[in-house]
Amino acid sequence: MNFEGWYPLLLVADVGPKKAVGTRVQGKEFVLWRDSHGSTHVWEDRCPHRGMKMSLGFVRGDHIACLYHGWEYDRGGQCQYIPAHPDLDVPQTIKIPRYPVIEAGSIVWACFQEPDSELPPFLELPSPSCGFKSIFADCPASRVAELIEKTPFNGVAPKVTAKSDRVLEIVLEGGTLTAAVQDVCEGHMAMHMSFDRFKASADQIPYSIWADQLRRDLETAARDIKTSEFAA
Amino acid sequence: MTTPTLYNYDLDENCYKVRLLLSHLGIEAETIAVDVMPGKEHLSPPILAMSPKGALPILKHGNLVLTEVEAILVWLARTYDPDKKLLPEDPDTLGRVMMWLSFSARTLDVAVAARATALMDMPGDIEALRRKSYDAFRIMDDHLTIQQFRGEAFLAGGTLTVADIALFPSFALSRDFNIDHDEFPALRRWANTLRLIDGFITMPGIPDYH
Repeated sequence: MNFEGWYPLLLVADVGPKKAVGTRVQGKEFVLWRDSHGSTHVWEDRCPHRGMKMSLGFVRGDHIACLYHGWEYDRGGQCQYIPAHPDLDVPQTIKIPRYPVIEAGSIVWACFQEPDSELPPFLELPSPSCGFKSIFADCPASRVAELIEKTPFNGVAPKVTAKSDRVLEIVLEGGTLTAAVQDVCEGHMAMHMSFDRFKASADQIPYSIWADQLRRDLETAARDIKTSEFAA
Repeated sequence: MTTPTLYNYDLDENCYKVRLLLSHLGIEAETIAVDVMPGKEHLSPPILAMSPKGALPILKHGNLVLTEVEAILVWLARTYDPDKKLLPEDPDTLGRVMMWLSFSARTLDVAVAARATALMDMPGDIEALRRKSYDAFRIMDDHLTIQQFRGEAFLAGGTLTVADIALFPSFALSRDFNIDHDEFPALRRWANTLRLIDGFITMPGIPDYH
């Protein structure tokens, strides 16, 4: 698995305090959780005990506990408590790999290349921004940029500019979106979108309806691509 | 007023909807446990006499016998919610409540079937049921995203109605048939809100956290 740079995982607003959620990048599973201080953590989504997904677990204060047997891990990924052995001094080796996280452009990003590395590089994202919506679609991440223009907004084709291999700028009538594309797994992608400036909630509704149509169009196009590649 | 009697099976999400609403309303109902697994008691003559499909829940109150969970939720709301918040009277909100109750019965029934196939050996095409359930959750998630933009936290408006009670369990239990919550941010938020309502109760597979 080759991970390079920073990967968008979800909108900042979509993981609440003391909540955990799972995600995948190129098929590899990660848990994203927010502690009681509001800090976000991205770890491998696996309890070292029995391999249970930590994203099914629950956050208590600054610990996340595995749903299966309640093993509790601190913010450093270190197991601190094993309910079945309450008096045990937990070995330092029971630890979950964790990754650097930043929140930028209303999106949570993580870097999987060098766990626990120094400060992340500056991300060129509009700030302030206004988190909008994530869509998940059965469509290869690599094909998204070229397909977005085929879903008009108010009868006009969006103007799409690639800012990097995973950040797109989408200009729609009355609003510009930054879309961070996540390669979830083969044939499946997520796109986390934010407006480049504040937009009142009620004004976001037409864009939300457009995003839903975009997802349908992406999936139809992906099916057609698959069919034509199969035929070829 | 005499209390109603609920024929209940703890692992059945449709029974849970009724237990949840009863608890939210603060109503003590007499509960009769029906041994569905492994006893198949839901197919016994006394149950079939009330519910010919053998479907639970069944609610009895005097001479009234109700099956079909949406009808039971509506009856409970109309009978025990004097403020008429759970089943509002204004036509627009009532229309939306009924729309989502119909969605629950007609569209989200695939999620009930998916869970029964995955957990209780009910025959069925689990892959097809899972795909259809996923599509139904998307419709709910898209709607709740827009509700959020409207400043409304619930399916039919700004306050809890029986529609939320009817649709909540299938999403909360979706991991039973292998659909994770990761791709449904608006549903996660909504489910968290529902966990905070008065009288919230759990069932196996629906804990009070997440």
